[in-house]
Amino acid sequence: MAYNMVVSAADVVLSAEGLAKRYGDREVVSDVSFALHRGEVFGFLGPNGAGKTTTIRMLVGLVKPSRGRIVIDGHDLGQEFEAAMRRVGCIVETPDLYKFLTGRENLEHFARMLGDGAAGRIDTLAALVHMDGRLDGVVRTYSLGMRQRVGIAQALLSDPAVLILDEPTNGLDPAGIREMRELVRRLAGERGLAVFVSSHLLSEVEKMVDRIAIVHRGRTLAAGTLAELTDGGNRGLEDLFLELTGGETV
Amino acid sequence: MRVMIGLIENEALKILRRKRFRLVLVVLAALLCVVVFAQNRQQQNQRRDHPERDWRAQAEKRASDLERQVGQRRLPENFKKWMRYESGRLRYHLARGINPNEITGPVFTRGFAGVGTVLLIPLLIAVFGADLVSSEFAEGTITLLLTRPVARWKVLLSKVVAMMLFTTLTLLAAFFLAWGISGVAFGWSGWGAPILTGFRLSGSSPSAGFDLTDVRMVPLWQDTFAAWGLAWFSALAVGSITLLLSVVFRSAAAAMGTMMATLVGGTILSRVASDWDGAKWFFVTNLPLPDFYAGLPTPFEGMTLAFSVWVLLAWAAASLAAAFLLFTRRDVTA
Repeated sequence: MAYNMVVSAADVVLSAEGLAKRYGDREVVSDVSFALHRGEVFGFLGPNGAGKTTTIRMLVGLVKPSRGRIVIDGHDLGQEFEAAMRRVGCIVETPDLYKFLTGRENLEHFARMLGDGAAGRIDTLAALVHMDGRLDGVVRTYSLGMRQRVGIAQALLSDPAVLILDEPTNGLDPAGIREMRELVRRLAGERGLAVFVSSHLLSEVEKMVDRIAIVHRGRTLAAGTLAELTDGGNRGLEDLFLELTGGETV
Repeated sequence: MRVMIGLIENEALKILRRKRFRLVLVVLAALLCVVVFAQNRQQQNQRRDHPERDWRAQAEKRASDLERQVGQRRLPENFKKWMRYESGRLRYHLARGINPNEITGPVFTRGFAGVGTVLLIPLLIAVFGADLVSSEFAEGTITLLLTRPVARWKVLLSKVVAMMLFTTLTLLAAFFLAWGISGVAFGWSGWGAPILTGFRLSGSSPSAGFDLTDVRMVPLWQDTFAAWGLAWFSALAVGSITLLLSVVFRSAAAAMGTMMATLVGGTILSRVASDWDGAKWFFVTNLPLPDFYAGLPTPFEGMTLAFSVWVLLAWAAASLAAAFLLFTRRDVTA
């Protein structure tokens, strides 16, 4: 399968090459490769069990790859973990904040780990995610939407170049989903962030991404711009998806 | 470095806000109130049975007898040393009008270090220490914690430091609560009183006499300082092992339960299988450092204060090493 990596290499903010992960004798991810460019929204699609979450966990250092390389903004994640992670913000599944702390205390907690005055950005970020004035309640009392928003705020604390979102619309109501979509497009368009969104909700993904990769059984089956893969809109993304993945879930 | 301080600040905030530490203080205070009350009752009963004038006469007679014997008879030097100490101690008390057989706040406080190190303080350490790492996994916050530009070993190190910090605070709290509460019943002063310590059994048979070679007379505050210092060391060892359990288990309850089972198992072992020397290598049997320092018999053959200190140190170091290895290598999958 030919990969359409047309955009200039200088714009690549995150690249994954030949990622694989094996647990015992089971290979959950066999060969996943893609490149993420500045200012684009990248959709990572695949049926349940395709290895999307494992791949994302490898991208952010939670899981160690059995094979392959991840380079973020010029830093190899395996060799220069701290330098690489500084350029990344992520939400993996539902962001689990400290329930006994307030939203503000949670953000201060993570800002302290950055050590570079990130605490000063908290109020601006709160405004960005529409949580200003609401950060002082204990997280235990927050709705899912509020937690998701604080989750985005903590991901943006280090002013990252890459934002990685794993199933960001999980559990959100339609208004929340639209808000998320608009925020993602704004972050990519206005701030030049590269946003990596993993999801199995094709209709949502279709509305916000520029380029996509489709994975199945741990392998990348297709990659390219949305326009190319759907033949300028003549072919449905859903059809392509189901065709490539054989309409099955693992 | 600034980041490390920030990390430690984070951990301390989490321990305090989880309110486990508050529970530790409450338990300590409640327990001490009960024990002090009971000992006070006991002392009042004794006073009722042996009224005040008796102790003066007794002490006076005993001191004079000792002083006479030291001068007159040909005795081993150790014995004479002890006799001089003992008569000196009695004279000190007579001069101040303090009954040498009665408890003072300071005496109680010194005693508490010995009694508390075997079960109570380790349990309290387990209460706040068990969820240092396991709660991050159980509550899912480990994902946010580790997806930061901070190497994993630094994250764990900040938790180790926080554990040591709060262990120290627990010991300090125990000390001041013990002194404060016992002082209400027995008086707060008396730190200068001379006490004799370092008695050892000169054999393992039940009828063995005392080995007096290491007997020394020191002011109570000095003995207390040494005893509590050893209790602190013992507690740090327990904290290190608790941290490992917290890394291994995802549930704080499992970590705490394991530690408690080990502690209780140790006391059972000491009582039931005192002939099996191998047990001296377990960390539980080596916890009562203040008692070994005071010369109380060790539960198993071949244990000395120095031996126990080294065994605890080895256990603590190995536990921390294992914790670091596990924590930094683990795949965080859920």
